Amino acid sequence: MLLSRTKLPPKRSIAPHITFCEIGNSMELIVDKVKKQYAKVTAIKELSFSVKQGEIFALLGPNGAGKSSLVRMLTGFTQPDAGSISLHFEGKEYTSIPSHTLGYLPEDRGLYPEKSVIKNLIYFAQLNGVHKPVADEQAQYWLERFELLDRKNEQLKTLSKGNQQKVQLISAVIHQPKWVILDEPFSGLDPINQEKVVTFLSELKAKGMTVILSAHQMAMVEKLADRMLLMNLGEVVFYGSLHDIQQQANTSVELSVQFSQPIDQLQSAKLLSSTKHSLLNDNVLHISLNASQSMNQLLNTLTALGNLQSMHSKKVDLHQLYLSAIENHRGSVNA
Amino acid sequence: MLKNKTLQQTWLVTSWEFLHFFKWKQEVISKLIMVGFALLVLLWQHLNNDQQSIYNIATSPDIHLTEKSENFTFTSSTKSLTQLKEELANKQLWNAILTETTHSNGTKKITIYSKDKQSWLVDLQQNLHQQYSLNYAESLGLASEQLSTLKQPVTFNSQYLDTNIKAENSSATTTAMGMIILLAIGIFTSFGQLFVSITGEKQQRVTEQLYSCISPQTWIDGKILGQMLHAIKAMATASITAVLAYAFTRVVIHGNPIDFSIIDWSLLPWLAIFALFGVYLCTAFMAAIAAAIDDPNHSAKTSIMLLPLLPMVITFLTMDGASNWPLTFLSYFPLTSFVAMPVRMSLIDLPLWQPLFSLVLILALCFWIRTAAARLFKMGMTMYGKEPSVKDMMKWLVKGS
Repeated sequence: MLLSRTKLPPKRSIAPHITFCEIGNSMELIVDKVKKQYAKVTAIKELSFSVKQGEIFALLGPNGAGKSSLVRMLTGFTQPDAGSISLHFEGKEYTSIPSHTLGYLPEDRGLYPEKSVIKNLIYFAQLNGVHKPVADEQAQYWLERFELLDRKNEQLKTLSKGNQQKVQLISAVIHQPKWVILDEPFSGLDPINQEKVVTFLSELKAKGMTVILSAHQMAMVEKLADRMLLMNLGEVVFYGSLHDIQQQANTSVELSVQFSQPIDQLQSAKLLSSTKHSLLNDNVLHISLNASQSMNQLLNTLTALGNLQSMHSKKVDLHQLYLSAIENHRGSVNA
Repeated sequence: MLKNKTLQQTWLVTSWEFLHFFKWKQEVISKLIMVGFALLVLLWQHLNNDQQSIYNIATSPDIHLTEKSENFTFTSSTKSLTQLKEELANKQLWNAILTETTHSNGTKKITIYSKDKQSWLVDLQQNLHQQYSLNYAESLGLASEQLSTLKQPVTFNSQYLDTNIKAENSSATTTAMGMIILLAIGIFTSFGQLFVSITGEKQQRVTEQLYSCISPQTWIDGKILGQMLHAIKAMATASITAVLAYAFTRVVIHGNPIDFSIIDWSLLPWLAIFALFGVYLCTAFMAAIAAAIDDPNHSAKTSIMLLPLLPMVITFLTMDGASNWPLTFLSYFPLTSFVAMPVRMSLIDLPLWQPLFSLVLILALCFWIRTAAARLFKMGMTMYGKEPSVKDMMKWLVKGS
């Protein structure tokens, strides 16, 4: 579906109109076997994935995983050493996201600290082709949304780090781009403002924007992302939706089982040999259950071990998946 | 459509760059200070002259002054020196007292008594010097014409075999020298501001945000044009200040009519065009180098930014031989012609094709340097933490990353 931007009518009042994207023909950003090397450091070994139009796609990975190198190639600042990036749009094929469709929040934040908040926002909107009255209107709308309207004429440097972060976020989307790349959008924000950003990003998606975000706040990513790519040392660790990843990780539920009396460690190891588990405090077992395993069969095994006092279950969250996946990947690389 | 968009973006960056360093308040305050200073000088001059046009000078009876003067009245007095001093100090009858003593070799010494140090005392000394010269010439039986001849027995007239060389002290030379000084002012202004602007943006990490919306070419074009506007403003301000100072000195202080014959108006448009190209070249060069500087406090590349001053130095060193090959070569070589050709034009008469050809060459260089500087600028601005080597920079200069 093709996204086309419609011009906003010039209004004096601040209005919540973000109705700028229409769903047309679908676009897909395809990254195919991309490699990137800096001197002796291999930033990206070989990476393939795609981002579909209108989705929120998360790039995950520890520091030094290659996320920023990948983002710089997606924005066209640098070129891959091998492989290709392609995007078909408006009848043309691009090798990166074209600048006139891109909104970008870089890892290295930076606006003009000596200038006022509103001047910064209007300048970047104008550079992206928005007329000054519209830019002013949009800036005021977003500043009001982020509770910064009364500080619009203050120098940017007088704002707190979190508020500066919000201004930076606004500058990335004020021109209503079709593609938005946000590198660490939650950093420096308190939990309330993190939730605001979650709502904000959901709205962008609802209006047809494609959002690629890199973040370390797994709870936020879990709420937002349609699909994700976990990277480590320039390689793919897992890729897909949360459900896909849970299946790939072969773990979907965490069980905590408490017995009324201590259980036999040898017997539990024997009976639960095909299941990931660990014994705590003689009478508490932690079990990781994957989707293919039968709960009934497990219950039979557990009752054979002793009298059950309580049992709690919870789905494996992204945070746990991330930790275990990175640990496993490091182990396999070292091996 | 795209061209319009690029032009709009370039203009946005230009105006942002210009206004970043242009502060209305400071501009108005600095100009008011200049006007205030001029008024202060005028007032000082006015008060210091005591509002008196004729000064009464008492002389001892042995002094014989026959020449009349517009500013001084000499009165021979028989009163004692003590009495005259008292009148000078208290009664304001006299502005000065003169006494004369004669040395054993026949030379005379005049002692001038006044209440305090006054600027008109210099004029009085000149007046007395002239009168004593005439008196002495008369005592020798010389006429005043003979005395003039004695003072200046010969005049000089230079004739050159190279008929293209203009007469010495011509207004063209003054104009060209003035323009080179203005050019240096413009380049120094751009140098300081570009350095602050580019290294500042790099340190504020605004680079990637800007690259996501504009091309490096648009960015550097805007910055160069913005700084060129500043250089032109600095040159215009310096010109206006110089003209005002000249007019003030000539009209207010010396009471003469204003005279701009020191400016060669026919040469001025040529000089202005060469100066504009020169400012463009130097600004583009400095922008490209500044982009490669990561830490302005520790980078050795800062000194490279001073290179644009080299053409001026070389031209000054070679300008004695206006028709010789070094200055002729420099006047065509596009990296130096923006200084050397105006100097040659001011010193010798040139056929029209020569400055035109020089302009074509410099124009071609400007086109090349525009894209080359953008390549250097892009690579320099995206490198954080370490600076590119000169080898890397030469590579980017020729073919990009």
